[in-house]
Amino acid sequence: MTMKKRFMGMALAGAMCVSMLAGCGDSSSSSASTSGSGASSSSDDAYNVCVIVKLTDGHFNKVIAGAKAYAEEHDNVNVEIQSPTSATAYDEQANMIETALGSDYDAVVIAPQQSAAAATKVASTDKVIVALDTDFDSEKKSAFVGTGNFDAAKAGGTAAAEAAKAAGVEKPTAIVLTGVQGDETHDTRLEGYTEGIEEAGGEVIEVQYCDALAEKAATAMEGIIQKYPDGVDIILNTCDDMAVAAVKIIQDSGSAAYADTIVCGFDGNQAAIELIEQGTLAMDVAQLGYDMGYKAVEAAVNVLDGNEVDSFIDSGSLAVSSENIDDYISDMKDKGLWDE
Amino acid sequence: MSKKKFGGLGQYAGTIGALLILCVILTIVSDTFLTYNNIMSVFKQTIFIALTAAGMLLCLITAGIDLSVGANAIFCSCMVGMLVNKGITNPVLLIVTPLIAGTVIGLINGLLLTRLHLPHPFVSTLGMKNFLWGAALLVTGSQMVSGFPDSVMWLGTATVGGFPIGYIVVIVIYVIMHILLTRTALGRSIYCAGGNPEATRLSGINSANVLTFCYVVSGFMAGIAGIVNLGRSGTANGATAIQPYDTDAIASCVIGGASFMGGKGTMLGTMLGALVIAALRNGFTLLAISSAVQNMVLGLVIIAAVLLDVYREAMSASARRKEAAAKAKV
Repeated sequence: MTMKKRFMGMALAGAMCVSMLAGCGDSSSSSASTSGSGASSSSDDAYNVCVIVKLTDGHFNKVIAGAKAYAEEHDNVNVEIQSPTSATAYDEQANMIETALGSDYDAVVIAPQQSAAAATKVASTDKVIVALDTDFDSEKKSAFVGTGNFDAAKAGGTAAAEAAKAAGVEKPTAIVLTGVQGDETHDTRLEGYTEGIEEAGGEVIEVQYCDALAEKAATAMEGIIQKYPDGVDIILNTCDDMAVAAVKIIQDSGSAAYADTIVCGFDGNQAAIELIEQGTLAMDVAQLGYDMGYKAVEAAVNVLDGNEVDSFIDSGSLAVSSENIDDYISDMKDKGLWDE
Repeated sequence: MSKKKFGGLGQYAGTIGALLILCVILTIVSDTFLTYNNIMSVFKQTIFIALTAAGMLLCLITAGIDLSVGANAIFCSCMVGMLVNKGITNPVLLIVTPLIAGTVIGLINGLLLTRLHLPHPFVSTLGMKNFLWGAALLVTGSQMVSGFPDSVMWLGTATVGGFPIGYIVVIVIYVIMHILLTRTALGRSIYCAGGNPEATRLSGINSANVLTFCYVVSGFMAGIAGIVNLGRSGTANGATAIQPYDTDAIASCVIGGASFMGGKGTMLGTMLGALVIAALRNGFTLLAISSAVQNMVLGLVIIAAVLLDVYREAMSASARRKEAAAKAKV
């Protein structure tokens, strides 16, 4: 009985600790992991760089891997990663930025969840600041390293429209499944998709707000099949979860009108790339996260060394499809980002 | 007394009315709503909500709550994801693991409440929700998982003549739980534990075991919901565990007549509530409504349903008083 009670007590304590870490947003304590020695204990000649990501997901796992790879290749650089618990934990990330700016880091690399909030936080710092993934306006910022969700999505939209045209459709119709309104990342991807489709002579006939959730995307896709029984040429998704669900529902429906529908994902998750391999997902917009993380730390170190850096460093994006998937996978394998 | 609580369709007039009005509106504004295939879509979308709501109802009847149902379901999907990532394809293992995981988590929720005497299940299940969110990310390495074998996706995918098998399973579960709640001693104990805990204790019912049972059932339902979820979407992602799935479940129960005060609520009412939520979400899709408006409409429907319930309750109470007064005069 006492054993049982003791075990329950431990389980309870554990649950409480985790819930505090996960939910309450004590900023510094939820840092994901560190590479090299810690910021405070390092030698004087080493640069300490703090990288604050938006969250830990497929994309930012690659960013983190890239940032750490730079630190491993350079003995004089230590990188510490901090990650909020979710993409909309705005206060949590704001606290992280504040804490990092008050600590003895030499440079802080920020992927802001909210651009304006990040700009406000860095307004009075003398540390080197680099924007990662998502840009923000600030005099303090030395460089922005990223693709811009807009450009990446636009390229994806154009590629999808061109593919539909190549299949013989004169004016391709497209529907976008996206996240919650007000989420900067998804809003920007939606805008990029729309412009890409329209410039290639297609038309976005509808936008479905699915909170970036697979379950809601499945619901939306079922509705779309009912509403447009003659088929839609292109289904663009602002993240891979929704793309996988859309593909699944189209397959389950067995609808002939949707057999040739081009479904496009976003993020380059392994699960989505594997669907391209199988031929069910047509394409996926992959931001090159590894390069993004690597180049961002590199830019910060260059500034610390007193070198000039470009204000915008393009880390590139790629519309992965059956044509270039082999190269993409072998590249991922080289960087240790592919699980067999 | 018991007749009034459990029998008669009259008590569902409000919920049925709301569902009918909703369907009529959707039929008018959308050509697609009232087609066979679309109604089948609504049923498919009801499965997940109905399963999480079934467990939630038991907790609500005992004046408790289980905020971890959604996170538990996603965690169970992610457990399957972890197994698939490890190359395990044995269908029995893939289906039994999430069921056990969900049930064990329900058991822990129940024990935290009844054996470690946490003040209210709000605390324990809120903590559990966050714990499971982290655990779901942990077991999948924060990566989205797909590529599940058909055997495990069957429940979320299979249909007979367009009618989803998952919904048939839900109906069977609801019928069993209806019988449990209305025809067994355990069922009556559950209502008693919620209605009047002190009287329950004095009448010799082991409330701790009854309460624990409710959370175990809730966990088991979450396990099934997890299997349905990955079958429907073909993917499992730990990051979604924190999404407010519990709100849909609570809303279904409350629209169906359950109360936070406990002692109230039925399986049929909850099913109607789940159908209202699913029909609403289906309507949002057909009309391509923005997420801001979606949230507002859903909120208003929940408030309206509860208001309706409060007024119905007040009216029947005053009717009872009048009746009693009339009898007293005679």
